[in-house]
Amino acid sequence: MPRTRNRVLDALTSLKLAIVCLVLLMVLVVACTLAQVRMGVFGAVNAYIRTFLVWWTVPGTSWTIPIFPGGGLVGLVLTANLVAAQAKRLELSVRKLGLWIVHLGLIVLFVGEFATSFFQVEMQLAVEEGKTVDYVESTRDAELVVIDTTAADHDEVYAIPEALLVPDRFIEIPGTPLFLKVNAFYKNSDLARRGPNDPPSLATMGIGPEVNVTEAEPGSGDDQPNRKAAFVEPFAGPKSYGTWLVSDVLGAPQSFIHNGRTYSLSLRRHREYLPFAMTLKKFQHDVYAGTDIPKNFSSLVEVSRPSTGEAREVLIYMNQPLRYGGKAFYQASFGKNDTLSILQVVENPGWLLPYVSCVLVALGLLVHFALGLRRSAARQKAALEA
Amino acid sequence: MRISKLIPPSAAFVAIALTAAVLLPAAKIRGFDLDRFARLPVLEGGRVKPIDSVARNSLLLIRSQQSFTWQGRTVAADEWLLDVLFRPEIADSQPVFFINDPEVLGLLGLKQTSDRYFPFRVLGPHLEKIEQQAAAAREVDSKQRTRFQGAILNLFDRIYLYYRLENTIQVKNGPRLSEEIARASDPASSERHDGLVQLAAFRLLPPPAGGKAEAWRSSGEALRAGRGAAADRGLEQLAGIADAYAKQDAALFNVGVAGFESLVALERPDALEHGRYEVLFNRAQPFYAGMVIYLLALLALFASFLWKRAILAPAAFGLLVAGALVHTAGLASRVVLQGRPPVTNLYSSAVFVGWAAVICGIFLERMYRRGIGTAVSAAAGFASLIVAHHLMGDGDTMEMMRAVLDSNFWLATHVVTITIGYSGTFLAGALAIGYAFRRQLATRIDPATTKALVSMTYGVICFALFFSFIGTVLGGIWADQSWGRFWGWDPKENGALLIVLWNALILHARFGGYVREKGIMAMAIGGNVITSLSWFGVNMLGVGLHSYGFMDGAVWTLSGFIASQLALVALCLLPPKFWKPHPAAAGTELAGGR
Repeated sequence: MPRTRNRVLDALTSLKLAIVCLVLLMVLVVACTLAQVRMGVFGAVNAYIRTFLVWWTVPGTSWTIPIFPGGGLVGLVLTANLVAAQAKRLELSVRKLGLWIVHLGLIVLFVGEFATSFFQVEMQLAVEEGKTVDYVESTRDAELVVIDTTAADHDEVYAIPEALLVPDRFIEIPGTPLFLKVNAFYKNSDLARRGPNDPPSLATMGIGPEVNVTEAEPGSGDDQPNRKAAFVEPFAGPKSYGTWLVSDVLGAPQSFIHNGRTYSLSLRRHREYLPFAMTLKKFQHDVYAGTDIPKNFSSLVEVSRPSTGEAREVLIYMNQPLRYGGKAFYQASFGKNDTLSILQVVENPGWLLPYVSCVLVALGLLVHFALGLRRSAARQKAALEA
Repeated sequence: MRISKLIPPSAAFVAIALTAAVLLPAAKIRGFDLDRFARLPVLEGGRVKPIDSVARNSLLLIRSQQSFTWQGRTVAADEWLLDVLFRPEIADSQPVFFINDPEVLGLLGLKQTSDRYFPFRVLGPHLEKIEQQAAAAREVDSKQRTRFQGAILNLFDRIYLYYRLENTIQVKNGPRLSEEIARASDPASSERHDGLVQLAAFRLLPPPAGGKAEAWRSSGEALRAGRGAAADRGLEQLAGIADAYAKQDAALFNVGVAGFESLVALERPDALEHGRYEVLFNRAQPFYAGMVIYLLALLALFASFLWKRAILAPAAFGLLVAGALVHTAGLASRVVLQGRPPVTNLYSSAVFVGWAAVICGIFLERMYRRGIGTAVSAAAGFASLIVAHHLMGDGDTMEMMRAVLDSNFWLATHVVTITIGYSGTFLAGALAIGYAFRRQLATRIDPATTKALVSMTYGVICFALFFSFIGTVLGGIWADQSWGRFWGWDPKENGALLIVLWNALILHARFGGYVREKGIMAMAIGGNVITSLSWFGVNMLGVGLHSYGFMDGAVWTLSGFIASQLALVALCLLPPKFWKPHPAAAGTELAGGR
């Protein structure tokens, strides 16, 4: 037993393993880069890098088989190798001081990338000039919301995440006598005005019967957002309120009345509410004189937090994000004739690790190569003198 | 002994003196003070630059050259622009449109002959057809366009630029500027004023001394603002210049230009000074001169292998240093003129990659003194400046930086370090190519030189790893600062990562003893492939946030380069029996190869 354990330990700490990992990583990076042309950056990264195995679908079947280690696995093995080799093989001496620091920095970098892939959440905050927004939205996930709009001064919102929208499933709406039956859900769809030759609609109420919905392949590129759609049927006990079409591209919410309470139905981008609100005071889009080359984009926002009474103005512009409440807000995009500002909102608990790593590795390489250069220069001088 | 010490500085001096000779003031052409006119500052592309730069860049875009021969003499860009502005009937008959695509020529009813340059006069009757085809091509996504669609769009854009230049100061074939000023208040003129405002390719009238620095005006804007009021003094001067040139009255033209210049000097003395400096820079063409000097250094070095080594080898080093000085002066001028760190676009990255490689090579030569440093740095400097020369066709190489790139801090840190990383990897590759050729060509066994070569390559790979790693991580930090994503696996980031991984792989394989001398050298040549892909190849994929620059035609050049490098890897890996036979083939030198 100890012998096998030693063999495993030897393999784990071997330089050969590190080299194999570096080669595999290069192959993955090349494959991921080339795949981006066809799958978009997000798709390719998920297929090759943020995965433990790279899967391949056998043509003509629905079988998928793993054919290559993914970035996660290679990164994990490389990290383990680095830690183990460091502990076991590399001597603790001034000569190797630089390498110790470099490898420590690399471990920090790998941990940072793992933290990012597991914990980073990217959302968006879109706000028009003069308006106030207290939530961020997902760019990929949708949610079905049932809103009780009866009260004049407030709404009660029940949100159902997209993942629960499975056909033929019944979903209870807590706090109400209602439940919903999902009749169909499309990850991507094309919506068009119903023509005379189109097949009958699943919807019986609201705008649905006038719309022809066809299922579409989910978009792969980064610039093609999916148009999600679902057919849902609200029930109160045995009583059905008909089947409704909901989609994130349909504008106005559709509503029905049960027991004197008005409920509206809509499918929208998944929202997360913030404990503070942002008001866009001014969005600015500067160009260089006499050209349409953008020079700067900036949003002057007021951040207000009712719980603490805090209220202050902040200017968010290119390369100058606002870090607030554990999130970072970046100027990402704009629209509606320069009156709408779109901020990218990122939450990443490991965001500082790359900074630490950069300093460590730079320092380590500097120490290592400086020591090496001194030795080499001394040798060279001796050789020239001889 | 003393004379040999004088060789490098005198070779350097001769090269620099010849380069500086072009800076002497040029003679007046037909009595017109073109020089003074060319120095006038204007606002174009968001940047204040001399007319000379506008003229050169426009002609470069339209004709792919900065001058041309017409009626038996050379017409430089400044003179061409004057004709475009003030004598369009002459400019229209000068063959400036370069058209090479057979289908585009076919559309114009032209045959492909040895002459590929056509005057506007020939294109004029086909404008409608060209516009229709270009509009159709514009609808197609740029990646899906056919060769014809790309070519017709390109031709249309060039014609449009030419048309805008013609309508910058006065309406082509319309009233002259002086007449326009006289009837400024006539309501019928306002349509022409609007046309001028819309079409003006650059703005000549400086803002008043206290005004906003970017508030330069075109003649259309001045006419529109001056409706009914007393005419602008600058505008009147300009009208005088226009009339004098149209009448070919050199004396009057010279007086007008001098008057306009003193007006600018009064309101924007800094812009005038800047314009003067930039004209000197344009005329000196330091990167072109550097390219020639590097080539001379390389030739001198090769000649030294065969003949008069004691003179030619130090002369080669002297020339290399001269080339580096000219190159440095050019780079420094760009930094001053643009007010930016040295690397701002693909063109300047090529200039900088060569520069850093040359500087490293000079240090290597001082350390090892075997001519190897001179050879590889002259070759690297020459090659990178050729690449830069071919990247110039996009127009102004000092264009303004788009919003997210508008950060001198990150341009100076991330962009510069990563570019030094490219330099290092290429330099190691160049050393390794030298090694491979030496194996085949060397006439005598010299293990000390081989050892020096190997140790230089190793040192340069370490250098390259340091800069490419730091550059890559700094890029990640910039990304984290600007859009909250430290690492997005974007093609450009992946390319940078591949360089880091490859250099790390070489060092670890060497440390583990898995590769020796020959293997390290072959891998270093492989570094050229990876770096060229990361530098140019990823731009051709057209994905991600970093994809900039059109690169259609460059695909073949890049493929050719990669094929040549792979062939060199194979040459490097040939087993010893294929090397040039030596009397003592079993010597120590060969024992190192594996």
